[in-house]
Amino acid sequence: MESLLRKAVAQSGADFVEARWDEAAWSRVAFQRDQLMALEQSAEAGGIVRALSGGAWGVASFTKAEDIEEAAKNAIRLAKIGARHVKEPEGIAEVPVEEARHQAELEHDFREVPLERKRELAERYNKLILGVSPDIVSTSVRYTDLLRRSTYANSEGAFIYQELPDVTLLLAAVARKNGDVQQAFESIGEAGGYEIAQDHEAKAEEAAQRAVQLLSAEPVKGGTYTVILDPELAGVFIHEAFGHICEADFLFRNAHMRKVMEIGRTFGVEELNVVEDGYIPGKRGNVPYDDEGVRRRKIHLIKNGILNELMHSRATAAKMGMQPTGNARAVSWEHAPIVRMRNTYIEPGSARFEDMLKGIDRGIYAKAAFGGQTQFEQFTFSAAYAYEIQRGEVGPMVRDVVLTGNVFHILKNIDMIGDDFTLQGGSGGCGKGGQFPLPVTDGAPHVRVNQVTIGGR
Amino acid sequence: MDIVKRAAERAEAAEAYREKRTGTAVAFNAGDLEQVKAEDIVGHALRIIQEGRLGFASTTGAKADGLVEAALLSAQHGNPAPFGFAGTAAADPVPVCHDATTRLPAEELIGWCEEAVREIERAFPEVIANAGAERGSIDVEVKTSAGLARHEERSYLSMGVEAQWVREGDIYTVSASQSVRTVDELDRHRLIEDVLRELDWGREVVPAITGTPPVLLLPSAMIVVLLPLFVGFSGMSVVLGTSPLKDRLGEQVFDPRITLWDDGRLPLGPRSTSFDDEGVPTTRLALAKKGVATSFFHDLRSAALAQQEPTGNGQKSGLMGGGFRSPPSPGPRNIVLEPGTGTLDDLLAEMGDGLIVADVLGLGQGNIASGSFSNNVGVGFVVRGGKVVGRVKNTMIAGNAYDVLKSGVQALGGEPEWVYGVLHVPPMLAGGVHVVAQ
Repeated sequence: MESLLRKAVAQSGADFVEARWDEAAWSRVAFQRDQLMALEQSAEAGGIVRALSGGAWGVASFTKAEDIEEAAKNAIRLAKIGARHVKEPEGIAEVPVEEARHQAELEHDFREVPLERKRELAERYNKLILGVSPDIVSTSVRYTDLLRRSTYANSEGAFIYQELPDVTLLLAAVARKNGDVQQAFESIGEAGGYEIAQDHEAKAEEAAQRAVQLLSAEPVKGGTYTVILDPELAGVFIHEAFGHICEADFLFRNAHMRKVMEIGRTFGVEELNVVEDGYIPGKRGNVPYDDEGVRRRKIHLIKNGILNELMHSRATAAKMGMQPTGNARAVSWEHAPIVRMRNTYIEPGSARFEDMLKGIDRGIYAKAAFGGQTQFEQFTFSAAYAYEIQRGEVGPMVRDVVLTGNVFHILKNIDMIGDDFTLQGGSGGCGKGGQFPLPVTDGAPHVRVNQVTIGGR
Repeated sequence: MDIVKRAAERAEAAEAYREKRTGTAVAFNAGDLEQVKAEDIVGHALRIIQEGRLGFASTTGAKADGLVEAALLSAQHGNPAPFGFAGTAAADPVPVCHDATTRLPAEELIGWCEEAVREIERAFPEVIANAGAERGSIDVEVKTSAGLARHEERSYLSMGVEAQWVREGDIYTVSASQSVRTVDELDRHRLIEDVLRELDWGREVVPAITGTPPVLLLPSAMIVVLLPLFVGFSGMSVVLGTSPLKDRLGEQVFDPRITLWDDGRLPLGPRSTSFDDEGVPTTRLALAKKGVATSFFHDLRSAALAQQEPTGNGQKSGLMGGGFRSPPSPGPRNIVLEPGTGTLDDLLAEMGDGLIVADVLGLGQGNIASGSFSNNVGVGFVVRGGKVVGRVKNTMIAGNAYDVLKSGVQALGGEPEWVYGVLHVPPMLAGGVHVVAQ
């Protein structure tokens, strides 16, 4: 494939051409209650060519390796069509021309584990969950492993081969009583071997017990609260509410938004530091090189409370006069890269959890995340479960906790940052521009926030 | 030799699915053309039954050999197949393809987007408008070793328009989109008008009316109360016991004004097809008639487990995508809610003081199986005396979809619209929705 790729990007007629061929091989086992919904070991391959001509991009995706030259010609043709309409041409920032090969680091290579062992593992977790209580009516237990082998070349001479492993496990329980249905889950995702999915029996039981507990939990009362976010939820918060607006592709051509997200602007307390890192051993968001062949950089989005740097592709960096950061990622060969997160986290601070509770008369301790969504300054994310805080103490469990607000306000309302820390990937992923699920990790310590709006009755 | 024949030589039964996608998409950024993309993709999936056990695998391109081996491996460790593959009953064709639409030149799509950006920025020079469009075809073939051979080409065309109004301390974003099968159905001016109307309504930010005011869900926000029903009416949720509607067919579960169809056979409907991804002919299914739950939608598996007939709802591409890589599961086709009477203005007059919801954030993030919803109001407006007075911010709506549809229906409008490429629904004036604001 190397010579086909190198030949394709050498086509004339464009200012820049890049081509990527991805081979993916995966296993998947999924149980719902007693039904084996999926059991497979599949493999596929596909490619994409992107060309820049006259400041517009042309892109062509394909599934037959021998079509690559045709795809390159097509991408160049489409870029030229686009170029006739562009008002402000895009360019690409200069980067070192890289030649690299990156092999996966797998402690226990999941390709060597027979499919039946993977089935047995998932089935054991599934049975554990079902056995916890008669109120457990269903489950969703899913194991996946994936090795993406990506080969990239561009017309500047870059050539990158990298292997990106990803293992996920979802342990979800559904409880039902008197017509009410509640669910709880534990979710794991790491860039590693089969060991990632093993030995989670305790988590399976925890998920089942929590689903049952949620049946008797009251829905939260809507209103404005002081909220303590656990590390998992705080991680989702920093990803959803803040990370997405630091992706330069949504603002690099938008003068209004650039002003809102001006480097040097104060966003939070001095203790607030937010990091975006392309490589932390074993983490799901790892991309040694991004899908434009750019070597990763570790950046501080927020340093000492001040907006420090944004995430860039080569095009956004060129327009804004910045250095690319290695954040141009594509979820698969079907897509061109866009600016995405990798491993995103709030650095630990100095507050102890007990001290965070002090002084909260009526608050919410929100734990784990169902998901989140952001629309520029407005965001929403939902806790998987939560507890009331009454007079400085953690009280009864509550459910249906969905937090919302304006990110600029809420970052300023963070008043305490914990001295603990968890960085983890889940079994899902991040979605943007039709590209889902992209492996990422989020992390944080416990974080306390004032004045958070929570929906409810 | 084709995949199903190869597989049939090694297995008791086989079902091969092939999807060929060809299309062109144009993307703008901040009102300026950024990218023109073409795709030409072939995906395969194979299910087999061997020694009574079900196996599945998928791949791309033309690697049939590996696919058969992979499906055999899956079956070797699989469970007994709870169902058999589709029979050869005739599937009457539904119109789903318009040749000229599959060939629309990129230049034409670009022209439409430029026009939308121009129109919006002319009316509101301070906003940044944006647009995008795509067209193409999905060519699907389903074959089984029992002799079933179905094939259909389906055209698609979609366009989205967005406007962003950034002022000090305030970012206001509105959008509108449409997914259709033919170019004649695309109402580009409607998209522009919808965006302009919401920009106009949202000039001022005003305090929300909190508590449980009347809430007018525009068609674009009806997904809030209908999304939980996608789970509730799924035959698989019923089989698994996670649907609140389990054992409730024949019961009055909604307001008598609620008549809901899942129509897979609506001519040129955005999710209509002649047959589903398992080769089963699609149907027009009454989910609820006058508030009484009447049927659930099924794929082959859920139908067999529930001892019901399949309804042609076996889908590899759910609303969240998936495509050839996913095994089929029951999913909705075109969800059609029968309209009431009256215009939007009539509903506003009836509402008096209340909240209009046009768009929300956080769809599907709560416990949708139970029907509960809790969403940030992405685009919403305060109504006083039947007139829109401004837009809300930092506001949430919460409630339970089943409760709202049972006892909160105040009026259904008479003007249904297509939204999200899956719902054909009128606006609804509802009670029992809790509104909180910061």
